Amino acid sequence: MPNPYIPMLTKVKNIVSENKVNDIKTIELEFKNQEDYKAFNYIPGQFAEISLIGKGECPIGIASSPTEEGSIKFTIKKMGTVTSEFHNCEVGDTVGVRGPCGNGWPMEDLKGKNLVVIGGGFAFSTLRSLVLYVLDEKYRKDFGDITVIYGNRDSGEVLYGDVLEEWEKRDDINVVLTIDREEEDWTREVGFVAAIVKKVAPSPDNAVAVVCGPPIMIRTAVAELEQLGWKDYQILNSLEMRMKCGIGKCGRCNIGNKYVCVDGPVFSLEELKKLPNEY
Amino acid sequence: MDQKILMKNEIGKLYIELAEEYNFYAPVKEKGNIVFKKILNPDDIVLEYFNSKVPPKEVLFPEMEVLFEYSLDGKDVEIQDRQDLDEKNVIFGIRPCDAHGFALMATFFTAHGDCEDEIFMKKRANTILMGIGCNEPKSTCFCTSLGGHPFQKDDLDVMLTDLGEKYLVETISEKGKTFIQKLKWLADAKKKDVQQAQELSKKSEESFVTKLDLTDIDKILDPNFEHPIWKEISDICISCGTCSYLCPTCTCFDVIDETDEYNNRGRRIRIWDTCQSCLYTLHTSGHNPRNSCIERCRNRIMHKFSYYPKNYDQIGCVGCGRCVQLCPVNNDIRAILTKIKNIEKEEEISA
Ligand SMILES: Cc1cc2nc3c(=O)[nH]c(=O)nc-3n(C[C@H](O)[C@H](O)[C@H](O)COP(=O)(O)OP(=O)(O)OC[C@H]3O[C@@H](n4cnc5c(N)ncnc54)[C@H](O)[C@@H]3O)c2cc1C
Ligand code: FES
Repeated sequence: MPNPYIPMLTKVKNIVSENKVNDIKTIELEFKNQEDYKAFNYIPGQFAEISLIGKGECPIGIASSPTEEGSIKFTIKKMGTVTSEFHNCEVGDTVGVRGPCGNGWPMEDLKGKNLVVIGGGFAFSTLRSLVLYVLDEKYRKDFGDITVIYGNRDSGEVLYGDVLEEWEKRDDINVVLTIDREEEDWTREVGFVAAIVKKVAPSPDNAVAVVCGPPIMIRTAVAELEQLGWKDYQILNSLEMRMKCGIGKCGRCNIGNKYVCVDGPVFSLEELKKLPNEY
Repeated sequence: MDQKILMKNEIGKLYIELAEEYNFYAPVKEKGNIVFKKILNPDDIVLEYFNSKVPPKEVLFPEMEVLFEYSLDGKDVEIQDRQDLDEKNVIFGIRPCDAHGFALMATFFTAHGDCEDEIFMKKRANTILMGIGCNEPKSTCFCTSLGGHPFQKDDLDVMLTDLGEKYLVETISEKGKTFIQKLKWLADAKKKDVQQAQELSKKSEESFVTKLDLTDIDKILDPNFEHPIWKEISDICISCGTCSYLCPTCTCFDVIDETDEYNNRGRRIRIWDTCQSCLYTLHTSGHNPRNSCIERCRNRIMHKFSYYPKNYDQIGCVGCGRCVQLCPVNNDIRAILTKIKNIEKEEEISA
């Protein structure tokens, strides 16, 4: 068994600023060693411990889909020490990657189901990965109808403009974008995510909803889903906890007897309700 | 099981014979406290001691430990793995409770996720535990409440019993057997030595003052997660973390990069952390899932007495009593557990 704290080394291939205020960037990484890339077998919803060696390490959801071959992507919001260092990094810099970590979205269980993807704010990265994956020509037939509801404070905060545009052009996915308040030139929906969920009224029949966003959005959107007859086992969340190791060793990410870094970060609402309210 | 005799005045000989192949750790006195240290001079070894203040977990899981080292060269980074994990160790004089602590640490470090904590597990595999039973447990000891015993052998490779001028040496594991067979000069034990050891063990067991019944404690804890008792228990706690730093089963750590900017090199290290600190779970956003002392005290007890049984079918406490002796506000875990046990009784009375 190798030392599990040693990261694989990658190089920054590309950096994209994702929003107008420029506090969210997507960095694209290429593995220095192709063997490492082959070993990095991930599914949407997993995360990795990424580090600027010498500056620190932090857990970040994998924003790319395994169907985007050759590199991996992470969307990072500038928050504290390490995330700010990532915002200062340049193409060619070395980034350490450990992972993939966590369970990811239950892709096998989602097969044959209609998917309702509900996202708010910058917590959209692993949803990007999920939607790109199910839309891939290899996998699209395995899934039923796909609905995406994605809300933001304002139009300047909408991530992944390029892929959203692609999705909107397709007829095998229903993309509903919303912002909190009216803006000139905005032609999509206006209103909080929960209100849009109510309006779109996705049917719970043979469906799974994947909900990611700030706690208040999750609470209100889930309440709407419940009104529409959705059951707890049909609703999936991805949790964030403070993490260090990402591999179930440092202890800090527990909720009850579960370790979010290995038993999660994806939990159904049914599973969450069985855990102590400590997240 | 082989039974031998080691004279106390032969400890120096034992050390000299082993020190070439093994890092030899034993109790020494440092600033008035007993600590397990790598021995350089066998005269430093202390044979009359109760137990160390910091558990010998620090031998295999030190307060600060290097995960790997790195050197930085412009945009490039080179990583150097640990080279010292194959070194062999002997921990002489470890108490049975602390040896059980190592077993629980190994359980935790291998249970979750797809990988083991290779750093700890390799060192553990290369370590011989040469324990000494406890002739005189203190009033704070409560290993027998946790299925342990002052002369518990299960987690040791070699068990020693202090017979005054000499030790009875018993080989427990296969590893211990091979180890002791190499020490050809050890005399065979006599029947009366073995008898004396059995008497000491019995006498020691009888001297325990605390005996808690912890069967099904998890079944009481789980439904009482929101019970007002947690406020009562945490009221005097000052979140200093002594109970967890000095606990032979606590393994939580923080990870930090330490860089020497002038020489472009550094190391990623881990350092002991504690779930009793409010920073431990604090999100960068400011949200904190265990913001108050109530939640943190509860987590410590729940982890050892509910989550451990759930995940690994055993309790995560060895009853060494360090947290009882050293808590600055005297928040005695035995009293806490008794209060929790009483929740059920009170409910029966009021029902
Ligand atoms: C499963 C999961 C997925 C996530 N996905 C995303 C995502 O996709 N995008 C995103 O932007 N955020 C994501 N986050 C949140 C992100 O991990 C935090 O915002 C980030 O850890 C904050 O780190 P910081 O250093 O900027 O903040 P700080 O508050 O400064 O530090 C927080 C942590 O950073 C590390 N750290 C700080 N300094 C050092 C140092 N000197 N050496 C070593 N480590 C140090 C430590 O681990 C520290 O606890 C995710 C979190 C989780 C748990
Ligand atoms: S992050 Fe270390 S145990 Fe989960």
